[in-house]
Amino acid sequence: MVRLLVGVLVALLLASGALAQQVKLRVFIGGQQRPDVMRKILDVYEQRNPGVKVEIEVGGATSDQQQQYLTTVLTSRDPSLDIILIDIIRPAQYKAAGWSEPLDRYLPLGARDALLRQYLPAYVRANIVDGTLIALPAFADAQFLFYRKDLLDKYGFKAPTTWDEAIRQAQTILQGERNPNLNGIGFMGNISEGTVCSFLLPIWAAGGDVTDERGRLVLTEDMARRSLQFWLDLMDRHRVSPPNMAEKAQDTIRREMQQGRWIFGTLFAYAWAHFQNDPDSQVKGKIGVAVMPRFEGGRSASCLGGWQWTISNFSRNKAQAYRLLRYLSSPEVAKVLALEASNLPAFPELYRDPDVLRANPWFADALPVVLNARARPVHPRYPEIADVMRRGLNAVLARTKTPEQAAREIVQGLRTIYGQ
Amino acid sequence: MSRGLGRSTANRAMRRSPRDLSERALASWLLLPAFALLGLVAVYPVLNLMVTSLYELHLAYGPKGAFVGLANYERLLEDARFANALRVTLLITLVTVPGAALLGLLLALLANLPYMVKWPVRLGLLLPWAMPLVFAGLIFRWFFESDYGVVNDVLRKLGLAPLFWLSDPRLAFWAISASIIWKTSSFVALVLLAGLQSIPKEYYEAAQVDGANAWQVFYRITLPLLAPSLFVALVFRTITALQTFDIPYAMTGGGPGNATETLAMYIRTQTVENLNFGYGSAMAVALFVLCMATTALYLRFLQREEGE
Repeated sequence: MVRLLVGVLVALLLASGALAQQVKLRVFIGGQQRPDVMRKILDVYEQRNPGVKVEIEVGGATSDQQQQYLTTVLTSRDPSLDIILIDIIRPAQYKAAGWSEPLDRYLPLGARDALLRQYLPAYVRANIVDGTLIALPAFADAQFLFYRKDLLDKYGFKAPTTWDEAIRQAQTILQGERNPNLNGIGFMGNISEGTVCSFLLPIWAAGGDVTDERGRLVLTEDMARRSLQFWLDLMDRHRVSPPNMAEKAQDTIRREMQQGRWIFGTLFAYAWAHFQNDPDSQVKGKIGVAVMPRFEGGRSASCLGGWQWTISNFSRNKAQAYRLLRYLSSPEVAKVLALEASNLPAFPELYRDPDVLRANPWFADALPVVLNARARPVHPRYPEIADVMRRGLNAVLARTKTPEQAAREIVQGLRTIYGQ
Repeated sequence: MSRGLGRSTANRAMRRSPRDLSERALASWLLLPAFALLGLVAVYPVLNLMVTSLYELHLAYGPKGAFVGLANYERLLEDARFANALRVTLLITLVTVPGAALLGLLLALLANLPYMVKWPVRLGLLLPWAMPLVFAGLIFRWFFESDYGVVNDVLRKLGLAPLFWLSDPRLAFWAISASIIWKTSSFVALVLLAGLQSIPKEYYEAAQVDGANAWQVFYRITLPLLAPSLFVALVFRTITALQTFDIPYAMTGGGPGNATETLAMYIRTQTVENLNFGYGSAMAVALFVLCMATTALYLRFLQREEGE
């Protein structure tokens, strides 16, 4: 009897020891970030690290929807998430709210600089907030002009380099095709994060910006008005965009372009993999990718995107989470994401990698675009800044406000946030 | 109502025996868990909200707030977006509460008919009632979508020009209101159906004997006897209308611009998105007060009715 009891006790101890060795980590990503590809990447990690199990939690289809959920989890100091994939606009907010475990704890200054030198500089800048390393890059992103190569060829056009050219080409093709389901230039206009990029593109292309290098607000009402007017003109004056652009989100345009409903679309890089690989894609092999057009006499401007891995400050497995985070932000994983999800790498050398170029021929010309892409304002109150801009453009596109009215409100709203 | 209750307790207290006292003590002990639970999940959060509303607590400036007294409330008075959200909320309430009451009454009468027709109606009542609000919002967003939506498809087939239901502020308001009425009238109908079934058949038989016509029966018997149920339905419907969030959030996200943003949506933007918990709490307190005031108004009305 005693022997039996001892036996049971020993067995229990052994079992609990085995349980203690089993580490469970939970990674949060959004629905847009290809959970299927991410699962494959994590399966490899589990194979190499017996005893570590990694679960994926998927939530929210857009950057803002993901953040809504994460805000609830993080403000309640919930320890259920260990690693979180965050948008490039978030690190300042995460630092201010105390949601991220600073990575400097694991990286002595020399090692940190050596590591960061491998990444594209824009992502190093985005992830260091007031000297603290908040996150490491998962993949880069920028806006490109996706176009219907077949249609442009048919009318003898080359990919446009200026907006005027793009408008003329769209008008000619629309007139020639007489297809009621075909639209000209697609851009984001609904109330979502992508619309912030729409608002900023013409401002950047004209040489302006929201703040100067010292973070002081320099956006004028006139610059804002011209941007709003430009998008409104695409619908009402040039008639290359349908009148309901106020309803269009990025993924709506991507899906419609996939059905052959757009000639041009200003989209982020992820769209490519869908156009080429999705079973329902009607534009396989018919899509070209170009640098965003510039204005006559101006410069080309693209909106910097990209996603970062950060460790939740409330994780109970920070050391293990850090090991996984280093794997997820490695060139190896970046290459898988480039091959399978057409995610632009945050490592410059991968833009010359033959495998990557075979899957994404246009990556060969993408590096300068990412290098020159402009970052949205860096500010702990970024969500408010974004809300002011996207609602302003959305109201103009819905014709409930004139560009003058909306420009005044945007600049006033920004002044309140920047305290100027 | 409460006065009457007070008097009867007072009477009983005068004749209170030791055994009564121990029963009362037992009753309080038995009620204690319920009160504790209520305190934990209702009273404490509301008090916490009120305290937070007195702080400048914006997570962009760190997790610790500073006491600012009524500054957040002063800001409310100057905030044009708050005024707009309040206006939209009140308009939605004014349109959808009577709308749902009328449609709900009609549905309840149909569901109460002694013919076969009542079964499909009763089944149809349960579906919208059981559906989560945000589902209803998403369904109606597709319904009113300008390129692929059913509504515009019908307009096109009739040879009319399609309308931009979700990006024209006035149309968006009516599209949202119609969806809310569709979603909530079944709740009203279910409450009213219960009320209808509790009306004794004898009254109708007596009316038949007296030769009353259908309108007289409805106006003199059904409606007065249905009043208590209708009242309950109206109170609940009004409170939920003041808190409208899901359907406009799913359909327009408050757009175009801020044209269809309700109070609950603005509160969510300030707290969950902007992380401005102090100011968001002040707005939530304002909404709480609005709901309490509406309930008090209804209760007063009820007291007066009962007093007559």
